[in-house]
Order: sequence, then C-alpha cells, then structure tokens
Amino acid sequence: MPLIGALPQPITSAPLVILIYAVLVLMVASALASVWFRSTLYALGAFAATMVLVALLYLTIAPFLLFAVQLLVFTTVSAALLVGLLRQTAGLDSTQEPFSREWIIGAAVAAALLALLVVVEATTSWPVRASANAGAGFGATLTNTYVVGLAVLVVILASAALGSGLLLAATTLPAPRPRVPRR
Amino acid sequence: MNAGLEPILTASAALLAVGAFAIVARRSALLMLIGTQFMFMAACLAFVAFARFGLGAVNATSGAAVAIFAGATAVAELAVGLAMAALIYREHRSMAVDADRG
Repeated sequence: MPLIGALPQPITSAPLVILIYAVLVLMVASALASVWFRSTLYALGAFAATMVLVALLYLTIAPFLLFAVQLLVFTTVSAALLVGLLRQTAGLDSTQEPFSREWIIGAAVAAALLALLVVVEATTSWPVRASANAGAGFGATLTNTYVVGLAVLVVILASAALGSGLLLAATTLPAPRPRVPRR
Repeated sequence: MNAGLEPILTASAALLAVGAFAIVARRSALLMLIGTQFMFMAACLAFVAFARFGLGAVNATSGAAVAIFAGATAVAELAVGLAMAALIYREHRSMAVDADRG
C-alpha cells in the first residue's frame, strides 16, 4: 500500500553506505552474541558494544546531539548499572543449557515477530525524503516543541531513581500474601 | 549501492526479534533486562530512520527527540529492573526470575 510521500533519496556516498551496512551487521551480530553468551560478563560486553554501534549509526543519520547522548549517557549509565549489579552478585555463569525448551520457545517467538516485521516492511511502499538539515536546531526543538515531554521525562527519571533507591534500601522482598484455601 | 530506509528498518526488526528472544528464552533477570533494552533501541532506530528519510515528519529532528525520550525511559526502566533483580538475588542467591517460585 503506497503511503503519501516524495521521491526516494537514499544515501549514495560509497564510504558512508559501506559504514552504515557494516555498523548494521555488527550491531545485530553483537546483540545476538549478548543473548548467546553463557558468561554474563561477556553478554554485558556485547550489550555495551551494541549500544556503541547504535550511537555510531546515529552519527551518520541523526543529529550529533543524539549520538553524544546515546554514547555518553545511555551507554555509560546502562553499562554502569549492569556492572553495579554484577558486582553485587556472584553468579556470572548461566546454569541454563543452550537449546533448552525455553530457547526453542523464544526462538519461535522471535522468528514469528521478525517474519511479521519483514512482511510489513516488504509490502509497504515507504515514501522516502532525505532531509539535508537534520541537525539544525535540534536543541531548540527539544526545549521548545518538546518542553512538556522533557518535563515528563524528568519526572519519570526522578521516580525511577527514587523507586530503585527504595528497593535497594529494602532488606528483604515483601512477603507474599498467604493463600486462602478454596471451599 | 545505497543506504535508505529499508536496511535500517530490517536491522531494527532484527534487533527487536533478538530482544524478544532474550525475554522469552533466558531466565536470568539481567539478560531479560538487556533484551528489553534491545527492543527499546530497535524502536528508537525506527523513529530516527523515519525522521531522517522523511515520511511526512514535520521536521527531521522529531524522530531524534522521540529517541532521546525513549532512551531515557529505557534507562529508567533498567534502573528499577536491576534494583528488583538485586533484591531477588539478596533473597534467593539467584538471578533466575523464577527463583522465588518455591
């Protein structure tokens, strides 16, 4: 089904195209590796690599600010949080065997999801219109057009910080409610 | 040879599928949280790609703005999820999400 749009103008510069394809392939490969590794430490490393590769992709197609935020804030904070948890826990190796029942169910779900997305992507005629000034006024757009979104984001982050702090301060899990026997 | 919307959307779909696989197949809370991060990133990539290549966006920065909001929300979700995982570990000495089934 064709959507409303203009003439397609993809990126044609050869080095940039090669870089984009290489980053895309490496990104998916490192994401797969992070799910595949039995060692949590290796999985964490592959996850951080995926985040860095996403940032690199943003560098080619998005405003520079998004690249900087992805690399310096999202990647660093996520990795620091995960490493912090790893330091609190001892079990670095998974006890789960590959190709177990959960793996087969998970692979089936992932394959169905991927097939659905590929079918949608292949059957839709995406209108493409390259925008030359992708980075122009991004900061101003964030603080003017999306000021409410920014405010909501601050509230969400503050709530998350407070909630995780309270959870970590708790000594034990809350006790489950006792079961009431059926009559 | 060129790079447009399709390769990025394909990679985004693959990333989403990998995230879904991690959530369904792995029992470790940490790996499941990594899976949710992949799914967030896949959505952000799609937003940015659509904004970069047009598709009726008001301006090219809209997708990047949504990506920033979604990324920050993902980090917030990760923080709360990891705190819960730490609490479960403290109680059961295991990162498996079904550790407290008894």
